[in-house]
Amino acid sequence: MAITDYIDDRPAEGVFRVNSAIFTDQAVFDAEIRAIFEGGWVFLGLSSQAEKPHDYFTTQIGRFAVMVQRNGQGELGAFINACPHKGARLAQLRQGNAPLHVCPYHSWSFDSSGRNKAIKSKHAGCYSAAFDQDDHGLARLPGFADYRGFLFGSLSADVPPLAEHLGEAAKLLDLVADQSEDGLELVPGQVTFTFAANWKMQLENCSDAYHFTSTHPSYIRVLERRQQAFSQDVVASVWENSDYWKDDATGIGGGSFSFANGHALNWGIFGVTPASPLFDRAGSLAQRHGEAKRDWMFNMRNLTIFPNMQIAENASSQLRIIRPLAANVTEIRTWCLAPKGESAAARRQRIKQYEDFFNPTGMATPDDTISYENCQMGHGGGPSRWLQGYARGMTASVAGGNRFGDLISLQPEQSVLANPQLCDETLYHSYYRAWANRMAKELEA
Amino acid sequence: MTAKITREEAQELLYHEAHLLDTWQFDAWVELYTLDAEFWMPAWRDEISTTQDPDRELSLIYYKGRRNLEDRVMRLTSGHSTASSPPARVLHQISNVRITHGDEAMADVCSGFVCHRHDTRMNRTDYVFGRYEHRLVIEAGVIRIAKKKIILLNDVIATSSDIYSI
Repeated sequence: MAITDYIDDRPAEGVFRVNSAIFTDQAVFDAEIRAIFEGGWVFLGLSSQAEKPHDYFTTQIGRFAVMVQRNGQGELGAFINACPHKGARLAQLRQGNAPLHVCPYHSWSFDSSGRNKAIKSKHAGCYSAAFDQDDHGLARLPGFADYRGFLFGSLSADVPPLAEHLGEAAKLLDLVADQSEDGLELVPGQVTFTFAANWKMQLENCSDAYHFTSTHPSYIRVLERRQQAFSQDVVASVWENSDYWKDDATGIGGGSFSFANGHALNWGIFGVTPASPLFDRAGSLAQRHGEAKRDWMFNMRNLTIFPNMQIAENASSQLRIIRPLAANVTEIRTWCLAPKGESAAARRQRIKQYEDFFNPTGMATPDDTISYENCQMGHGGGPSRWLQGYARGMTASVAGGNRFGDLISLQPEQSVLANPQLCDETLYHSYYRAWANRMAKELEA
Repeated sequence: MTAKITREEAQELLYHEAHLLDTWQFDAWVELYTLDAEFWMPAWRDEISTTQDPDRELSLIYYKGRRNLEDRVMRLTSGHSTASSPPARVLHQISNVRITHGDEAMADVCSGFVCHRHDTRMNRTDYVFGRYEHRLVIEAGVIRIAKKKIILLNDVIATSSDIYSI
């Protein structure tokens, strides 16, 4: 099939459609793993996950186990987490500290720079001269780069510099990174969940404002109940302090920005509210970065760095890593992201909002993930058909930025600014344009 | 002097709680809890330890106050939550019930649990297992739950989980 059989993108005619096959087809999935996940930059984790010399954390790129490790000099490296002898996974914990990794299978050992230190009984091994000429160290990722503590890796050397890949979207990572002079950290405690649906459902949902009132009415009623009967026990939420999502809201409430390479931002005006964990540093953030940038830090912001990283800053701050396991199975690892050094009260507030809203055991996310599964069942996998979820907002989408983005010098490819009911869906176009660019060769081969 | 809570009484209350959850009698379930009850399912910090401080570390669920459990029940039974409509069919099995600490007014009870779940929407069956730590207290002659801690051992959540399926 041609790429145009999957993505029908005809801007001049006002048409943008996605074929349901991209959520179900095994050949599409296999091509995605090669072209999207193993063929370009993917997010690995935060540098603060390996803070001290010899600290490491483990993750996955496509089908490959990966280890990010800080060596004795404090330099970060990224390696395939497999012993070159027989391929055994070397580091088996999510994170740890190891000046030396000794393979549990045959005891080949490696230092924290990935260099081979010893091969058990080397001299008795009767190796050929050719073996001695091989590098026995761990395979380094061809691409590895750090943008302000956000670590990205690539299994392909054929990638642009990370700064070019991130482009203007890097300024949105700045809004997260600049919330503390001391950097970012992950609140201890990791959450992992799976769902029986395609990974792109998660990709889209993070940018989807259209679903909020229809998917989460039970959560909204809980917020209303909390507003009516104040109790110190209940979790204060930034959502209840905002009107931007309400049916009767008027005026400009937010919008979206689309960037090159598939990155996108969906945002709304929340205001500088005490329900935000940032509230107690509102003054100092304004002093350091100016009021405009400070206000942007307080805005509701759902950012996707294509293909696998999302930062949702609405109720609290969530970092997600999307990992496709099959066309119809996805794993999501999530963390609560926090500026270092915030007050105990702010941290508590951040954590409580996170648990209440974002957890798969919470009151909002389950309704999203069940909806993904309903979509997957609806897609079926039989004869493919064109979906209609990509048309909303097309006549509101303009080339370039707008006065809100200008406040932080943001120059997106496209932007939408509208009243809260528009709930733009054009920002998925950026995902699928990047997707199509990367997939064309794989699918048409 | 009030009699201590016996193991048999503790076991009976745990079984009763399980039955109320299994049969979706959530209003009656909430009534088992004291007004200031703590309901806590910690997250795992790493492979071997759960988080310990709900104010500084992440939990899968943490609420202080029965009021929050009422919110959860309201959501569950509202008909406005896709994830809860219909609710999964669940069966809790509780074992190894022991009182680890107790006096005239309270008892700390630990137990093991398995909760089997059948999601009729997806026609999918799974299970979670772990340990419970209940703190039971006597209020006006009635045994109530002042704390429930759920240590979930298989913590990769299959799509979603709620107060009645853990």
